[in-house]
Amino acid sequence: MSAGSFLWKGVAVPFREGESVAAALMRAGIRNLGRDGAGAGLRYFCGIGACQNCVVSVGGSVVEACLTPACEGMAVEAVEMAHG
Amino acid sequence: MDRPADIVCDTLVVGGGAAGVAAAAELCRAGLTVELAEQRPALGGAYYRQPAGRAAGMQAGDRRARQWSRLEDELRRAAVTPRLRHVFLGVDTDGLVLLDDRNGGRVRTVRTRAVIVAVGAVERVLPRPGWQLDGVVTAGGLQMLIKETGEAPRGDIVIAGNGPLAVALAADLARLGRPPVAVVEAGDPLARPLAALRMAAFPGLVAEAAAHLVRVRAAGTPWLRGSRLTSISREDGRLLASIEDRNGATRRIRADTVALHDGIRPNDFGLPATARGEPFVLRAGDCREALGVGAAEADGRAAAREAVALLTGTAPRRHAPEVSRQRRAQAVLGALFKPVRDDGGLAALPDETVLCRCEGRTVGQLRAMLTEPDPVGPREIKLNGRFGMGSCQGRFCADNVQALIAAARPGTVAGPLSRDRWPARPVLIAALAAEEETREE
Ligand SMILES: Cc1cc2nc3c(=O)[nH]c(=O)nc-3n(C[C@H](O)[C@H](O)[C@H](O)COP(=O)(O)OP(=O)(O)OC[C@H]3O[C@@H](n4cnc5c(N)ncnc54)[C@H](O)[C@@H]3O)c2cc1C
Ligand code: FES
Repeated sequence: MSAGSFLWKGVAVPFREGESVAAALMRAGIRNLGRDGAGAGLRYFCGIGACQNCVVSVGGSVVEACLTPACEGMAVEAVEMAHG
Repeated sequence: MDRPADIVCDTLVVGGGAAGVAAAAELCRAGLTVELAEQRPALGGAYYRQPAGRAAGMQAGDRRARQWSRLEDELRRAAVTPRLRHVFLGVDTDGLVLLDDRNGGRVRTVRTRAVIVAVGAVERVLPRPGWQLDGVVTAGGLQMLIKETGEAPRGDIVIAGNGPLAVALAADLARLGRPPVAVVEAGDPLARPLAALRMAAFPGLVAEAAAHLVRVRAAGTPWLRGSRLTSISREDGRLLASIEDRNGATRRIRADTVALHDGIRPNDFGLPATARGEPFVLRAGDCREALGVGAAEADGRAAAREAVALLTGTAPRRHAPEVSRQRRAQAVLGALFKPVRDDGGLAALPDETVLCRCEGRTVGQLRAMLTEPDPVGPREIKLNGRFGMGSCQGRFCADNVQALIAAARPGTVAGPLSRDRWPARPVLIAALAAEEETREE
């Protein structure tokens, strides 16, 4: 049962009610979240906001995908893209 | 003069897991005003992680669900309304607590007399070549995903590392009809009869472990004891895990997800020092000592009583028999799961193995620093080597760096990389700037 969808780099990703951005991306098979400013790869790892390896950009803020609830229509960008 | 704060309260509890919720309810019953800050959109912490969508709820009849609803009821009766999506950053020089309010998109200040920090544990994960690949997660991270979504990621799963959590995860996966293709365990609990006998003092743990093992065996999952996952590579879009047994024989297993776990440790990075003046700062639960959920709840209550004593000028004392009992249980579990070979494979790691996941610093780069003619200390290793300086603040490298230093310099005691880098979490500069502005107005 899908509650809606958000945009990952402009492409719609469905999510279920109350789910985190990370959970929805994982279900969609999106595991590579790009690279951060230091060039290290980004991906889901610890699931509790500790490793900072899952950061994405939402509304200009860098946030952990595993802590951020998915919302209808929300634009989620890879960190590298948000910073040019 | 006191700077005005957004929120004023007697006590602030940080972290909405077992320890934090128990502490908040206890403080409220003592007649103090309480704020409870949690970074996630829901309370529960690691053990009581809630499924997405309240309607789904946890499985009725589940012991975990019953225990959580008891804690939730207690919090409701105490009339504590948690501040969700509030990330604790630290205590500034004026004694104000800073919370990053992710709903409001700004930093909020709290003036309080006591802070109980209950931010839980983090997993220990030993480095292996390829552990930075995507599709490699921590076992706890995979468990969080399962608890949140009620489903496992697609494809084959291998769990590897050390300790009872791996078997618990394997049992959860089997229950979903998706047993892992293998559980790789560095220890060999079945070959430690003395420790197994001492486990008899903890019948609850024995029953739980037995239930997990029965389920994993029934699913046909091999439990490869005395073995280590030595490297992971990517091949044809899948992960290829190399597994070495105690005799040095290697086998390869293909998987889509590899879940690593080598134990848990307190999440005590970037936290304010425990202060002996207002605001008092106390730690509770797994972030003080990682002893599991039962101890965390008892420790949260004990920390609350200690805070009340501090605020009323009576002699503070942390007394919790359940914490001592769980400490004994963890010691026995440690002996039971003691790795068959000791050093966790650190000495044999190839130089190109990533050590710092945040900035891609390698084992070889650390080794090079350690063989310089002038011996470098933990400070240089941190500042010049940038180990422990990435955005996870050393949560996933500090222990491994320290172990590698100890291995390279036998006989010397390596000081820890300092864990007191403030704030507790990287913070959006814009949010802090907004706080500065309101401060100057
Ligand atoms: C990933 C993981 C999985 C685990 N799985 C199991 C399991 O399946 N079975 C088991 O018996 N034990 C498990 N454990 C052990 C578990 O930590 C304890 O048993 C129990 O959850 C400890 O309770 P606690 O209240 O001390 O911490 P937690 O339950 O971890 O609660 C800490 C809370 O603090 C919040 N927090 C952290 N940092 C901040 C911050 N800066 N600002 C605001 N809030 C913050 C977190 O979001 C969390 O809700 C797991 C541990 C981890 C790390
Ligand atoms: S997966 Fe580690 S912070 Fe999100």
